[in-house]
Amino acid sequence: MFKNFIFSFLIFVISCTGFVQSQTPDWNEETNIYESISNVPLKLINGKEIFLHQLAAEKPLIVALIFTRCTGVCSPLLFQLMENLQNISSGKDNQYSVLVISFDPFDSLKDMRLMAQRIELDNNQQWQFAITDSINRLNASVGFYPVWNDEIKQFDHDALLVGVNSDGYITKKLIGLRNEKEIRLLISSINNVFSPTYRLPNPNNLFSCFNYDPATGKNTPGLGLIFIALPAVISFSLVIGIRFWVKRKAFR
Amino acid sequence: MENILLKKNTAFWIITILVLFVLSIILGIIMRLNQGAIIHLSAVTFYTDMTTHGLTMIGIWFVAGMAGINFIMERYVRTSYLANLLALIFTIAGIVMLWASTLVGNFHAGWTFLYPLPFKIMWSAWATPLFLFSLTAFGVGWLIWCLSLVTALLKKYSIPQVFAWQHFKKNPKVETPPFVLISMISLVGIITCLIAAVVLLVLLFSEYYSNGSFMNDALLLKNLTYFFGHTLANEMLYLGLAILYELFSEISGQPKWKTTWYVALAWNFTLIFILTAFFHHLYMDFVQPEGFQIIGQIASYSASLPAAGVTVFSVIVSVFRKKVNWSLSNLLFFIGVVGWVIGGIGAVIDATISNNFVLHNTLWVPAHFHTYNALGNVLFSLAFFYWFSKHYTNSKTNDRFSTLKLLFIVVGGIGFLLAFYVGGADSIPRRYSDYPEAFTSAKMLATIGAAFASVYLIGIFILFVNISNRCLKILFSRS
Repeated sequence: MFKNFIFSFLIFVISCTGFVQSQTPDWNEETNIYESISNVPLKLINGKEIFLHQLAAEKPLIVALIFTRCTGVCSPLLFQLMENLQNISSGKDNQYSVLVISFDPFDSLKDMRLMAQRIELDNNQQWQFAITDSINRLNASVGFYPVWNDEIKQFDHDALLVGVNSDGYITKKLIGLRNEKEIRLLISSINNVFSPTYRLPNPNNLFSCFNYDPATGKNTPGLGLIFIALPAVISFSLVIGIRFWVKRKAFR
Repeated sequence: MENILLKKNTAFWIITILVLFVLSIILGIIMRLNQGAIIHLSAVTFYTDMTTHGLTMIGIWFVAGMAGINFIMERYVRTSYLANLLALIFTIAGIVMLWASTLVGNFHAGWTFLYPLPFKIMWSAWATPLFLFSLTAFGVGWLIWCLSLVTALLKKYSIPQVFAWQHFKKNPKVETPPFVLISMISLVGIITCLIAAVVLLVLLFSEYYSNGSFMNDALLLKNLTYFFGHTLANEMLYLGLAILYELFSEISGQPKWKTTWYVALAWNFTLIFILTAFFHHLYMDFVQPEGFQIIGQIASYSASLPAAGVTVFSVIVSVFRKKVNWSLSNLLFFIGVVGWVIGGIGAVIDATISNNFVLHNTLWVPAHFHTYNALGNVLFSLAFFYWFSKHYTNSKTNDRFSTLKLLFIVVGGIGFLLAFYVGGADSIPRRYSDYPEAFTSAKMLATIGAAFASVYLIGIFILFVNISNRCLKILFSRS
């Protein structure tokens, strides 16, 4: 009986796994978390030269990677961030500075200064604009890989925000234009404040206990819960089955 | 009853268990000495020891209980020798694979091997599948053994009789012996948790061999791990209690204990509630719904307190102002009940949600489970081993130095456990190979714990020599 159960279960699992996709999920936000961001030298538009970890030690950082000639997502990324941060009051567990770094080697300090002036952030103490001569090292350490498109003379890149705590570790990454709630979570994480999270949907994960729906913010019971109840059901069924079996055998 | 093969098999079980027990205690002492900075182990060696120590202890004291109830069950029903032998072969194979994966392959994910740790390869690549295969060997052997014993019981008793439901009415026509009731309750629980282990292993193997096309849910696997681990750790204690219900009165020269309505009720409570008590291991998992946490707390109380209540009551009634033929066996049973109750109270304190916020993953946790094992379950099984070895070698003489042996075990055990309890109350975390200076008392307590554990080991070693010598005689005798 036991052998049959194992055999049936194995067939079930193997047939289920046959349906799942073979490629691994593309979890860019999950990569590099809790790794140290590269400690590159920075040149700030106020003329100061400082290493990234030194800057983070002063205040945890939200790092935004942009380039000044960008006609795509860079400006919306910064404007959205500005708007979200306006609604977040500063507190003990809410410390942060925004570090805007150009990943374009052709950008100069002058270009960055102009950009800061254009969006009226050049005198804002919470915002730092910088360039670095070690951009490839920085990009690799945060998993950011812009690709130059020669046709449109633009980089194809993610709108990436990286949270760095005061020890220089990456605590959270956000890709795309995100809402205020998620920026709050980012700020909490760089201040080492615990925030509950949810698992990202993954087609290879068949037996979740709960399925989280980010749209509604609700959990619904998943197939995995059956596996928690299953051993007791099988066990009690076995007891009843064995009793019937031995009774029938004795009767014969 | 006088099944020669079963007797020899039981003797072999006892010797194997005692050898592994002594070795595992030594591993435990080495860990505490390292935490006390008396010796220095690498972190990998420490966690390898911890994994080996934890799983071996759980395994051997589970099979100790099983060997005991299998032997005594022959008094009531005919059991399968083949299943017993198969379990022995699978257990030895499992132990060899387990020790190879940890001590040679350096697998060190802890005895709970919480997902995804087994797949974060920080050891020889072959150690992970070998470790999983060792668990498979245990699971297969033990499941066959349990199913065969349940079948044996169900051949004689109907389902209501084997669970003693007729005792809820007045003047039941059939009496279910307490040994049969507790054995059945425990066996059903064990089968359930072994099936949980089967599900867990199938899911782990599926991920391991799927090359990334199948991923597990961490919450599901943690639930299954503790369904298996916590339930097994509790059920093996109940196996020891089944033996106590059968032998304590017999050795003490008193009438046999009988099943009453409250004994039946308490143990049926255990059957139902022990299967959900494991939820208390997930109090800190915020993704687990609150309802499960509440069930965990209620079940932790309901599974243990009634059974503990009736057992303590029964033991007190049978010794209070009664003539008792005290021997090492019933003294071990008696002290074992005290250890079980103290450890159980420690467990219930930790299983209370508001306390768990403070005690979670502190030394309080090893404190309570070492109490009901080292001074509870182990003593129940040692009592059986001692009784068995004396009974079947017709040894009439009382062993010399019985008091001294007990003194070593009790004083060593209490000192060893107190070091854990004091550390737990002082919020010292568990599972640290080296304690940072911030935990000022941690190193000193670990050293004290190691010293007392060595005293405990002396007592166990003397008993081991006595019992093993007699078991060897049984093993090589012709009758």
